[in-house]
Amino acid sequence: MTGQGAHGMDRYELRRQDYSLSEDQTELQAAYAKFFRSRSPLEVVRAAEPGGFDKNLWEQLCATGATSMALPEDVGGDGATLVDLTLVAEELGRTLAPVPWIDHVCASRLLARLGACDTPDIVTGREIVALDPRFDAPPGRRLVPSGSVADRIVVRDGDDLVRLEFDTRPAKVDNIGKLPAAWIDPAAADRRTVLASGPEAVAQYDRALEEWRLLTSAALVGLAEETLTIAAEFAKNRYTMGVPISTLQGISHPLANIAIVVAGARNLTRRAGWFLDNEPDAAPVLASAAFVYLAEEAPRAATMAVHVQGGLGVSAESAASAYLVRARGWALAGGDPVDAAVRVAESFATQA
Amino acid sequence: MDFSLVELSDEDAAFQRRARAFLDTHVTDEVRRRDRETGDNFDEGVHLAMGAEGWLAAERAPESEGGLNRLRRRLWDLEKRRAEVPWVTAGTTAIVTTSIEQYGSPEVRAEVLPKIDSGEVRLCLGYTEPDGGSDVATCKTRAVRDGDDWIINGSKMFTTGAHNCQYVFLITNTDPDAPKHKSLTMFLVPLDTPGIEIQGLRTVDGDRTNIVYYSDVRVPDKYRLGEVNGGWAVLMGPLAEEHGVVDAANDGLQDVSILIHQGTTMATRVDRIAGILGQEGSDGRRPLDDRAVAYRLGRSIARMEAALSAPHMFGRVAIAQTMRDISPDLMDILGSASALPVDTEGAADDGGAEHLFRWAPLCGIYGGTLEVFRNMIAQHVLGLGRPNYSQPARAKAH
Repeated sequence: MTGQGAHGMDRYELRRQDYSLSEDQTELQAAYAKFFRSRSPLEVVRAAEPGGFDKNLWEQLCATGATSMALPEDVGGDGATLVDLTLVAEELGRTLAPVPWIDHVCASRLLARLGACDTPDIVTGREIVALDPRFDAPPGRRLVPSGSVADRIVVRDGDDLVRLEFDTRPAKVDNIGKLPAAWIDPAAADRRTVLASGPEAVAQYDRALEEWRLLTSAALVGLAEETLTIAAEFAKNRYTMGVPISTLQGISHPLANIAIVVAGARNLTRRAGWFLDNEPDAAPVLASAAFVYLAEEAPRAATMAVHVQGGLGVSAESAASAYLVRARGWALAGGDPVDAAVRVAESFATQA
Repeated sequence: MDFSLVELSDEDAAFQRRARAFLDTHVTDEVRRRDRETGDNFDEGVHLAMGAEGWLAAERAPESEGGLNRLRRRLWDLEKRRAEVPWVTAGTTAIVTTSIEQYGSPEVRAEVLPKIDSGEVRLCLGYTEPDGGSDVATCKTRAVRDGDDWIINGSKMFTTGAHNCQYVFLITNTDPDAPKHKSLTMFLVPLDTPGIEIQGLRTVDGDRTNIVYYSDVRVPDKYRLGEVNGGWAVLMGPLAEEHGVVDAANDGLQDVSILIHQGTTMATRVDRIAGILGQEGSDGRRPLDDRAVAYRLGRSIARMEAALSAPHMFGRVAIAQTMRDISPDLMDILGSASALPVDTEGAADDGGAEHLFRWAPLCGIYGGTLEVFRNMIAQHVLGLGRPNYSQPARAKAH
């Protein structure tokens, strides 16, 4: 029969293609849209730039249950689905909220799977857990995006998953994504605990990185949509030769293209989350696919949004420029997207 | 949200087997080969068999009158695509049928609808004009009243399938002085009427379309659909469907966007290419071991999966654009043997990527160009206003 590979992937099997949100999900989405909109306006985002972190905002976010929801019930969490978490991540990205929620959620879920989520403080977010989101796990010193604010850092060191603790938090380094990043040298940690070893442990770590790509993709969707909204609003009110520039196809078509990126990437991210929740073996790398797509398209969108606003857009004080640098830096925290792209290619080659 | 496999009842599973058996019997390799040769995207034998065995009637009828329910319709559509049933003329027939049901005179409905069910009647679209482009409302083909008849003169491009159809759903201008949306009248014109000349035109992807010339074509008034100068209203339903602006229901039993059919064809080719690049060559190495190959494949898959996920109008632009964007990379990573078309000895992927590259320009113009849909997204979704066009240049004074 045509249209079907030798082993499994069947594009013509009868699967539902239902991207709609449930009523509960719509409420969750609205609640976090409101939370981030009111608690993380641009002034708050700007004020947090020196440290890459707003502790007060983090505590407010944790008080809503945003960290506990992500964890399974057996460690005291609320067992939310990954699709639910993408809804929160999208709203976080929309307002550029300076909190390490994505890193903490992915790292603490990993700890729970390893049986190492050993304190309620992780569930409540009182203790922050970071991870190295790169697939290639280089030996030695590495840049960890939440490394300067984390109480514990989980990294892969060869075939070992190790938890690092420092008596003095490593120094934050300035970076384009305005993340609380720090150089972390596993050898310099005050305490180094091997949590798990071997192929199964590495597979668990890769799962955490896939989830990190899922939630980072969702955040980049929110980011791209907001920068589009800002640019569209500007274009409607800026006139040239007597007409709003939004009516010129040289402006409107690039903006329409951003809307297309947002619509496609949002649905792909949610579909990726659904499969990780329900049938991870059937589509294990769609989150990586979404990430590869957005690592390219979100910065492109943010650049266009700056460009549409011309001299006002390039100002360091403009909202658009705040989105521009994070669009680049948030994706780059995961390293070269080539690793995710190769992962996608290998998975499809196996499934074809 | 739900992407699960639908569990079929025994009855629905039997239906699926019946559909597969029918398609296996009638849609043979010979049918597919002939279709590539003619570029017709239609096979009369298959279509008449569908009519004879009741499939066409079941497609058209509502569920309450013996038609397919949503689940079975979805199953049937997916199995047709899997079997690569030629689809263009069946598709235009379905689009126009709705308008005939709604606007056709009782006489015309009685003449046409039973034969649509039997497969003997097929319908094509007479929209675009040689110098009209994507704006269907700029219509120069004239229809002039003459007693109980109308006399039609003009020409239409891209009347795909006309040589396999019995009627054309024709846009005419019946009031050249009126604003363009109040000047149109729709007709269902029998294609065997004297004065109609169908001229074939092959497109770069290998399909065939037609230019149709109308010279003093006399059509009885009964073939008019809708009011005189009220053609725009008749057109809106089919256009909305063709544009893919109709919202999806939430049961997940329909396409996410209008170009999903084409997008899924792209996906099956890409899946196959991934399989090929994962095979060891005679040197024991897989092409995928080269990260330059693996990266471009992974990036192409990522872009494709995003496009396949994009809903309604977004999806149609994304799919057509993605086909253009990724097909060159897919060809490059397959190497020079990807230059060889289907059924050619040594073709890298049996011509899959090579055909995608030639097909992509078509997917970005039919049913409206990418620019038409970017305009619609900009205006109706983003609220950026109607596109601003500069005034026509004035003729220079001599």
